[in-house]
Amino acid sequence: MNVALAATLLSGSLAGNRWRSGLAVACIALGVALAGAVHTLHASALDEIDRAARTLGGEADLQARGPRNGFDDAAFVAVAKLPEVAAASPVVELDVVAVPPGSGGGRQSAEGRATVKLLGIDPFRAARLQPGFLTEASGERAEGSPSYLDTDIAFLTPAAAKRLGVGVNGSFALRGPRGEVKLRVGGLLPALEGGGPVVVVDIAHAQQAFDRLGLIHRIDVRLAAGVPRDRALAAIQAALPPGVRLERPDDGASRTAGLTRAYRVNLTALALMALFTGGFLVFSTLALAAARRRQEFALLRALGLTAGGLRGFLALEGALLGLAGAAAGTLLGLAASLAMLERFGPDLGAGFFSGSAGTFSPDLLALAAVGFAGIATAATAAFAVTRAFDRLDVAQALKDRHLDLPAAPGGWAAPAAAAALASLAAFVPAAGEIPVGGYLAIVLALGAAVLAVVPATRVLLSRARAEESPLLVLATAQVRSLPGHLAAMVSGIVVSVALTSAMAIMVFSFRVSLDGWLYGVLGADFFARASPNGDAVVFDEPLQSRLAQVPGAERIDPIRYDRLNLAGHSHPLTVMARPVTEKLLAGFQVDPPAIPPKGEAMNAWMSEAAADLFGWKAGDEIQLPFAGRPARLRIAGTYRDYARTWGAILVDLEDWRRHTGDRLANDVAIVADRSADAKALAKALARIVEKVPGAELHDAAYSHNRALEIFDRTFAATYALEAAAVLIALAGVTSSFAALAWSRRREFGVLRHLGLTRREVLRLLAFEGAAAGGVGVALGLAAGAAVSVVLVRVVNRQSFHWGMEIHWPWLALLALAGAVVLLCALGAAAAGRAAVAREAVDAVKDDA
Amino acid sequence: MLAVRGLAKRWPGGALLFDDLDLEVAPGEFVAIVGESGAGKSTLLNALAGLDRADSGSIVIAGTPVDALDEDALARWRRAHVGFVFQQFHLLPYLTVGENVALPLLLNGVPSAARAARAAQLLARMGLAGREDRKPGTLSGGEMQRVAIARAVAHKPRLVLADEPTGNLDEANAGEALALLRDAVKSEGAAGLLVTHSETAAAVADRVLRLAGRRLAPA
Ligand SMILES: Nc1ncnc2c1ncn2[C@@H]1O[C@H](COP(=O)(O)OP(=O)(O)OP(=O)(O)O)[C@@H](O)[C@H]1O
Ligand SMILES: [Mg+2]
Repeated sequence: MNVALAATLLSGSLAGNRWRSGLAVACIALGVALAGAVHTLHASALDEIDRAARTLGGEADLQARGPRNGFDDAAFVAVAKLPEVAAASPVVELDVVAVPPGSGGGRQSAEGRATVKLLGIDPFRAARLQPGFLTEASGERAEGSPSYLDTDIAFLTPAAAKRLGVGVNGSFALRGPRGEVKLRVGGLLPALEGGGPVVVVDIAHAQQAFDRLGLIHRIDVRLAAGVPRDRALAAIQAALPPGVRLERPDDGASRTAGLTRAYRVNLTALALMALFTGGFLVFSTLALAAARRRQEFALLRALGLTAGGLRGFLALEGALLGLAGAAAGTLLGLAASLAMLERFGPDLGAGFFSGSAGTFSPDLLALAAVGFAGIATAATAAFAVTRAFDRLDVAQALKDRHLDLPAAPGGWAAPAAAAALASLAAFVPAAGEIPVGGYLAIVLALGAAVLAVVPATRVLLSRARAEESPLLVLATAQVRSLPGHLAAMVSGIVVSVALTSAMAIMVFSFRVSLDGWLYGVLGADFFARASPNGDAVVFDEPLQSRLAQVPGAERIDPIRYDRLNLAGHSHPLTVMARPVTEKLLAGFQVDPPAIPPKGEAMNAWMSEAAADLFGWKAGDEIQLPFAGRPARLRIAGTYRDYARTWGAILVDLEDWRRHTGDRLANDVAIVADRSADAKALAKALARIVEKVPGAELHDAAYSHNRALEIFDRTFAATYALEAAAVLIALAGVTSSFAALAWSRRREFGVLRHLGLTRREVLRLLAFEGAAAGGVGVALGLAAGAAVSVVLVRVVNRQSFHWGMEIHWPWLALLALAGAVVLLCALGAAAAGRAAVAREAVDAVKDDA
Repeated sequence: MLAVRGLAKRWPGGALLFDDLDLEVAPGEFVAIVGESGAGKSTLLNALAGLDRADSGSIVIAGTPVDALDEDALARWRRAHVGFVFQQFHLLPYLTVGENVALPLLLNGVPSAARAARAAQLLARMGLAGREDRKPGTLSGGEMQRVAIARAVAHKPRLVLADEPTGNLDEANAGEALALLRDAVKSEGAAGLLVTHSETAAAVADRVLRLAGRRLAPA
């Protein structure tokens, strides 16, 4: 096959298929764009975290990082004294909320808040590792120029200045545990621009203003030159209290990779769906084009074109469609991710990045891989068509004018094998973060469903034989004989129905599980949260007892959180301490649901994620550093935690307080007296909570609804994209029907000779559409159920570490099935209109 | 059976094809129409089948004034009373040979057992016994045309119209197919109209008419 011939053939085929080619390209582009955008957002998020860590860490070789609630600053003195350490710098690190200017400290909505990172540093020590902490002004106390030594002075990164809306010498206020912390901008730190929105103050002032006397969060360390690294590490680790671990400054990035997980799983599955659907559209486009030109190809073969040459041409055509889709998709994906980064930040507004604009850092290699996947999908589809054409009988094709691909052979062996492989793949463990086995199982399950199209169509429609209505008999006969491109259409329906229904089942299962879980865990009437954003503010004990004494409050449950960095694990572990009762355990769906008798080790319950990530089992005895002292815990069971994708552990508040002496609370759950007047109680509680700047009080219904609202918002984009993919697929199916109907116009002419009216021919087409749609829906739902099980039990479990039950959204599935069958019927009938518009007399003598 | 009176037809912008044309065919009669290419033979056949409208004149078939029916009524009438044989056979590729033969019966609501029996009977008469379950694509041209002939008479139509049914067949096959068509038409008591170019083909007919000068005249 030479270039001129290929070009001639190509122009002929693309001209006749403009619409269908366009849809196929659009679908591949959608898949490539989604996958590309997801990956770009993820890469940007990692890059952002990484850059911030590197900027703020400066020349530090190591960071000693403790629990979220801090560790004793005596550790710093011990580390700084070590001969292995050239420079060390203690850091207090808090997420704080700004008081909006002019608000007078009143309460406002969660959305209106600006959060920034507050760093308390020892300026001269910090500057030895990162000179960017010092501006010209901040170093020495020149006449009238501000320095870190002034307690009301803060230095801001440009990003922080922008977020707080202040300039040099401007004033702003942050929410502290004892009221507003008023600060003045002493200068900007342009060298720390990459660190994000950061407010830097003197460490002593930070400790004092935020009630962290004697506590620090981090020690940045530069090692002395010439000291073996291993020895230095060992010496430093020995000087640190339990629960403080040494890591490289950019280690945090891998831990935070989980932040983008929430949308990555979903959108990746969706991208897979779009790519698959695109593949089938390419297949059906090429198949129809090839079928339309079957005689032309046969003629070319007769004139001496080899089978290989013909195959090459078809493959080229597919690759070109794939290339167009990949190119358009990559551009679209880049544009979409850039727009989303600017609007929502790299976590799509989940709040982890507290609204920093985010750096746009596309990963070209990954984008190329995604684009290649798009091209490969199209090429595979083209290959499937060329395989059909290997069976082309040239003489036969020249003689008869029956326009179709040679029908695909098909038994149950191939689909059964694919299904078996799929169930095996589901047991393949995740590779790092990615549930490879899960995705492989999904692809195989879809493959099995597609391979089952031919045999299943035969089985499903053999029952319709007894039917005596002529139109039904003809329609089922046509679909049952399943010419090649009808098979492609049915496959397209199967794939899009399978993935749509699987997503619907997964999302519904998750929502129902979450709803049920929320009922259980929100077992109190009111919730007071000290720091809805950030972690700078807590409830002290006097405030807790005042809440407990409010008339109408039967009981309060103070809840204390800490976040541990455990040596040897890249994931943080959240500790949740609250009064543990059987009722609470039931609410958290603990297995087993009983409280074991108190022993020497304190009882602890781990979240499913903790079980997955830390490898603990019920009955294990473990040691965790609680507030700098090792605590012995016995894992009593597993609980469900849909609020955290990383590990968490639940202990009784009494045990925690006895061990740590920490009597603070981050949240307080309040159970109302049965006879209490809810309104009056809420008012009385609010009066107390209001005293704490930034704290919030909500009733259980509010918290419940808000959680579901956030859930629905997270999935809204998923629904929209899903609908788009299904619509594209159905448009593809309809256009394929149109082409098919056009190619059958002679047949319709014969039927009209035999006495069918135009309307009856259209009804015949509608029945065919419905039959094809029905078979597609039946197989699609079956495959969708299998895929949803994989999504829920494998993909979700491996990426979110959340267990959930499968709940079937019967109504939605029924509506989906009905809508697809109806649209197929309408689409087929509409597509046939042009084909029966011609006179029956012309149609039968038509040579085309 | 078939009575045509004063039929006239002119294609828009074309010459007058026929004018005041009369034709009468009795039940069981097999009539051949010959004429030059472009004389209007196919047009006449289509008008008789109600697929085309004549400009004036009347067509009465088995007592039904065909030209007075609307399109849907015509389709239903055709379904019950007309059989066709095409030059290109036009068998439906996705139906078996038996189903193709039984297609008119299916359209007329005949139960499937009766359909199958009738198809088998006709195929046997056409010398194709035992081929019921094959697909048309696996047959030779002559075999396909025999299936098409069986289909044309399956529902015992009053009128069988064949437009150059042997144009795609060789001499031997053509002769055999025509003989079968004539026998089938006669044994079912239908009126048969055969349009052909070939004088030998016309020889099987009871009567041969020539379409020339806008009228039909005995050849
Ligand atoms: N749809 C049409 N519109 C206009 N003119 C037509 C149409 N169909 C046929 N004609 C013309 O009417 C004349 C008769 O056509 P017809 O097909 O009836 O001829 P025929 O006798 O069957 O010829 P042949 O033996 O070649 O099949 C021809 O000149 C043809 O060009
Ligand atoms: Mg003709």
